[in-house]
This record gives sequence, structure tokens and C-alpha cells, in this order.
Amino acid sequence: MRKFVAVVKREYLQRVRSRMFIVTTILLPLMMSLFGIVPALVLSINAGGKSRIAVVDQTGKLFSRFQSALVEEEGVETPSGMPNPARDIPGATPPRTDSPNDVTLQDVSDPARTVDDLKNELDQQLRQKKIDGYILIPADITEGGKARFFRGNSSDFFISRRLRNALTRTVREQRLIDAHVDPATVRQLDKSVDLVATKVSTTGEVRDSAAGFAFVFGIGLIMYISVLLYGQVVLGAVIEEKETRIAEILFSSVKPFTLMTGKLVGVSFVALTQLAIWGIAIVTLGAYGISVMASRGMPASIPRLPFVFYIYFVLFFLLGYYVYSTLYALVGSIVTTAQEGGQLAMPIILLLAVGFYLFLPVSRNPDSTFAFWVSLVPFFAPITMLMRIITQTPPFWQIALSLGIGLSTILLFTWLASKIYRIGMLMYGKRATIPEILRWLRE
Amino acid sequence: MVENQITVRLDRVSKRFGDFTAVDDLSLEVRAGRVFGLLGPNGAGKSTTIRMIVNITAPDAGTIELFGKRIDPRLQDRVGYLPEERGLYKRMKIVDQLRFFAELKNVPGSVIEKRIDEWLDRLKLTEWKHKRSRELSKGMQQKVQFIGSVIHDPDLLILDEPFSGLDPLNVSLLKEAVADLKRAGKTIIFSTHLMETAEKLCDDICLLNRSKKILEGSLRQVKSSFGLNTVALRVVGENGLLNQSSLISKVEYHSDETEVLLKENADPQELLRHLIASGAVVTKFEMIEPSLHNIFIEKVSEAQ
Repeated sequence: MRKFVAVVKREYLQRVRSRMFIVTTILLPLMMSLFGIVPALVLSINAGGKSRIAVVDQTGKLFSRFQSALVEEEGVETPSGMPNPARDIPGATPPRTDSPNDVTLQDVSDPARTVDDLKNELDQQLRQKKIDGYILIPADITEGGKARFFRGNSSDFFISRRLRNALTRTVREQRLIDAHVDPATVRQLDKSVDLVATKVSTTGEVRDSAAGFAFVFGIGLIMYISVLLYGQVVLGAVIEEKETRIAEILFSSVKPFTLMTGKLVGVSFVALTQLAIWGIAIVTLGAYGISVMASRGMPASIPRLPFVFYIYFVLFFLLGYYVYSTLYALVGSIVTTAQEGGQLAMPIILLLAVGFYLFLPVSRNPDSTFAFWVSLVPFFAPITMLMRIITQTPPFWQIALSLGIGLSTILLFTWLASKIYRIGMLMYGKRATIPEILRWLRE
Repeated sequence: MVENQITVRLDRVSKRFGDFTAVDDLSLEVRAGRVFGLLGPNGAGKSTTIRMIVNITAPDAGTIELFGKRIDPRLQDRVGYLPEERGLYKRMKIVDQLRFFAELKNVPGSVIEKRIDEWLDRLKLTEWKHKRSRELSKGMQQKVQFIGSVIHDPDLLILDEPFSGLDPLNVSLLKEAVADLKRAGKTIIFSTHLMETAEKLCDDICLLNRSKKILEGSLRQVKSSFGLNTVALRVVGENGLLNQSSLISKVEYHSDETEVLLKENADPQELLRHLIASGAVVTKFEMIEPSLHNIFIEKVSEAQ
């Protein structure tokens, strides 16, 4: 036991102290915040202040509706069903100044002047940076005329899309009003439908299956990433003593099985440490994100699942991790250099990908015979069994059987790996052939 | 320890790899507190024999006893092993590696640090304690490997070509350390194909060739059993006489003298008479025991 601990300790400390580990551990959350938070922050900073857009409304009746449509585009929905005065009484309300709208529209229409004249003046203003852009709305816009948007360098690229959406909406409403449809009816007709999907399981409990899906997908993704990252580490750890020629010294002190399990456990602790650090970072970032969304009025909540599911998540995650890392150990025991190992490890990644895609057919028919058998295969069980648990929890004996088969596979692979490793070690510098390996195993 | 206690006993041990027999029906005994030389040309089966003693591979046939008990993984903690193929973790600090090796041999945590410091001091490596091994020269790495094999104060120490690649200063440093261990009553198995080294260090020897034992016994016995059949000679003007003489089976020229192996039942006095009669000036003519080197060559070529 003390020897096992010594091996685990060495594998763990060596790797956790390595520069590579520290760099990748810090880098990932840093990158995530760079790619996730920084753009959001930068966008919300909006260094240029509000974009000033001039509007030449030749129809003479769209401006105020356009303005309120733009406010809604911002993401601040007016509660559905409640009348919006700005939209009901055209041209009556001043623009809302308390909205987070970062675009100010200014109606510069003047029926007394020609469009070209106005355009010349606006071009000049644009050059002088008095405005950031202007829109020409032709009188025939509701009959298919084209509105034109001119923008200066300083106005941001997102604005054109928002303006287009707002204008589309305005024009659509105007067309309906022109057809003498009551605006309230228009809004009533325009309302989108919410489909609330609720799963009623056989035991009668009501379950949030969308959240479950997301969880299984998340677990699968984390497993995929950690196997990709740490499979190579396991491979390296197993080959390390062969490359440095320490294997013989070690085997005169410790049993191959102890060494192999020690390595697997040590590396898995490294992986868990890194995942935990990343997890904490993600949760922190996520909490920040949720609070940001909540402050903007978006509903964001943590999905509610039965507690036992979380236990299954952990168990099947560990199962998947160890099944695949013992596969890598097996490869490592056969080859003599990391490069060779990389080539031989390709099928493992394929296997992992297949397991990941099986998630789809199983989620459609979680009770099928296919789903049953697939969820017993240790390479696929972590994702497919979790999928079944989420969608239609199978009888406990099936879950237990799947876990049992997985555990036996892990032990078998570890035993095989240590056996091949011990014999292969005695022939430095030569990769074992399959017949040779079979012969060793018979010995 | 009592002089005639047996530390290692191999009884009719065989090991095969496929069709190749690496060790064939080998029996031998290593006495406690002695330096035992396991000698033989490359590929004779020395390393395989050692690997069976340290429980890395199991024999196909025969039994191995250590300290009077059937071989068992628990006995590994009483054995120190410096293999011929040896390395260090490149990125690990010296002190960390030694601590790891000590932990693998179940050395109590309280004494590990003290032992490491003592040994580093003794082999003049103290200033390298916190360096990573890739920063060390090959010779220094080898000394660290040696420490790794003795850090748990083993009762049996097995050294496979321990001096290869070392400069004379470090060789004598290690030899002293080995001599001290012997004085402390430890048993040492020393494997080499360098007969000069073996001759200076070993009390007992066993000569292996082509997976079989061809000679064994104490160095003293072995040498005297070959009798005084060698002449150490310093001579000027022998004009090729030595190479033609029917009395001589082998001539070896060293830098300052010549060693001549006589044929069986040849009379050394007659050789001397021949030399003087030919007009050569003989300044040294001494009957000596054959070198282990010559015994080795004679026995190995005899077996082929």
C-alpha cells in the first residue's frame, strides 16, 4: 500500500508541479473569459457613446414606430399583451430616454427639402462626425421601396442589423394598419407560441428533460475532452519508465500491477484537479453570466434534477474516464515511444466518438433492446446509460450491471497492461507484435 | 552474519524465451557476506539470472531461495539492484527521485532524508541535491543510480556492470562504498564481463557461458586449480622465439612485460634455457597464476 501511495504521489506531484500543467490550468479559464466575457464587456462599454442616426422618413408616419421597434430590438421586451403607447399613437410620444438603447434616432425629415439636398447635408454631417449614420426611408417603403442606410466608420457593424430588423417590423405593422387592421389585433396575431415540454415518467414524476439532456451532453463533452487530454498523459506516464530505462529498477521494488494502478490513479488525480479548477472557474463565470442575464430580465435558473442523478453522473463519468485511460495504458504498455503510442491510440478516439454519437439513437428510444445492449458496453455505457437514466430510468439492476461490467473491464485492462508491460520491458527498443503479446499472455 | 550462511540459492533453474534458452539448469549458491562475481561473455544469461533473483521474471523450472526463504515479492525490500539498463527521471530533482526509490523499498519516512544526505555527501553529490537529473553528467547520474540501489540498506546488493562509463576517481569512490557494505556484512553479487575488475573485487566467482555454468568456486581455488602455468617475462631480443616455441600456447604483450601461457606439462626451465641460448637478455622471469582473463578465455573457447 505504501508503494502504491508512493507511485501515486510521484505521478501526481511531478505533473501538477510541471510548468505545462500550471500554464494550461490557468490558460483555459483565462481564454474562456477572454472569449466569453471580454467581448460582452467591450460591447457594453461602447466607447463611442450612443450612435446618432438621422432618419429621413419620407412617409412621414413611420418614425416613432420605428423608434419604439428599435428599443424592443435592444432585448428589453415590453410585456406582451400590454399596450405600448408609443406604438399606438403615431408621432405622439417622445423617445424613451431611460432605455438601455445605445442608438438615438433623430427625425430630420423635412418635406420642404429634396432628398438629394438632405443627403448632401447628412453626408457632410457624417464626415464631420456629428452623426454616425443616416437612413433614407422612401415614401413607397410599404409597397416594396428600398430603404438605404449610410454609415460612417465609427458606427458599429451590429447597428445595421438591428436597424433592419426594427424597420422590417415597423413596415410590416404599417402595412397591416394600412389594411385597416387594428394594431392590438396585429400584436395579438404576431405573438409567438411557447411550447413547454414536460416529461412525465412512468413513476409519475415530472422531470425537466431538457436540462437532463444538457447535463448528459455536458458530461459527455467533459469526458471527451478529459480523455483526449489525459489519455496522452497516461500514455506518456506508462512509457516514461521505458524511455528513461527505469522500469527494471522499479520492478525490482514494486509489482507491475501496483505500479500500473498507481500511475492511473495518480494521473486521474491530476485530471480531476485540473477539471475541478476549471469547474470552479466555469461556475464562477457562469454565475456571473446568469447574474448579468438576470439583471437584463432573462430567465436563467439551474436545472432541478433528483439528487441520485448527480451520483450517477459522477459514477459514469469516472467509469468512462478510467475505461479509456486504461485503454491508453494498454497501448502504452505495448509501444516503446510516445510517437508510436500516438498512432496506435487513434482507434481509441474513434471509439470515443462513436460512443458520443450513440447518444442520439439512444435518446430517441431509451427503452429499446439496442439501447439496453449499448449501455452495457463499457466504452459506450457512460454516455448511453446516462442518457437512459435521464430519459427513462432503467431498472436499477441494469445500471448496476453496467457499472459492474465497466469496473471489471478497468481491472482487466489494468492487469493486461501491467502484464504486457512487465514482459515487454525486458526487450528494450522493440515494439511487440500481436503474436508476441498473445504468447506473453499465455505464459 | 555467519560465514557459511547462504544468501541466494538457485536450484536447477531454467528460463526460456520462446525457443531460446537463456538459463539452462543452473544451480549456484551465494554465501553471505561475500562478493560473488557472476561472470561471462555477453548473452551468457547473467542478466536473466539476476532478473530472476530480484523477482522481475519467474523461472520456468527450478527454485530460487533468498535468505533461506522461497522467493517472494516481500523479500524485494531486502535486495538492492543496479541494473545494466538504468536511468533516472529526467525532470525530477535528485532528492525527489531518491526519496521515491526509498519509499518503494519501504524505508521509514523518518530516516529517508538522513540517508539521502549521507549518501550524497559520501559520493560528493551534495551540491546537486536539488538539481534535475538531466542537468547531471552521465557519471554523476550513475552515482545517483547507485545510491538508489543502496538507499534502503539492503542485505543483498546486485550490481550489473556498475563501473561502466565511470572515470577512475568515481570508480574508486564506488569500490570503497562496496567494500564498506561488504564489511557491514552485506552480500554482493557483481556481474561483469570485465575480468580485471572481477579479479580485484570478487571472493567467489561463477562463470556462465551460453546459458550454462562452466566454472565456479572461490577466486583463490579457481586460480590455484589452474596451477602455475603462466610466466611473466621481461625480455629484450627474443626475435620472435616466443611465437614459435612449441612450449607456449599463448603470448600476451603488455606495455612493459609479456605474459606467456605454457602448454600443459611444458617445463618453464626449458623455455628459459631456449631464451638464453638464443641470445635474448632476460630481466624478469616469474611463475605466476593465470589471470582470470586467461582462465575466462580458455574456459569459454574450450566450451565452444
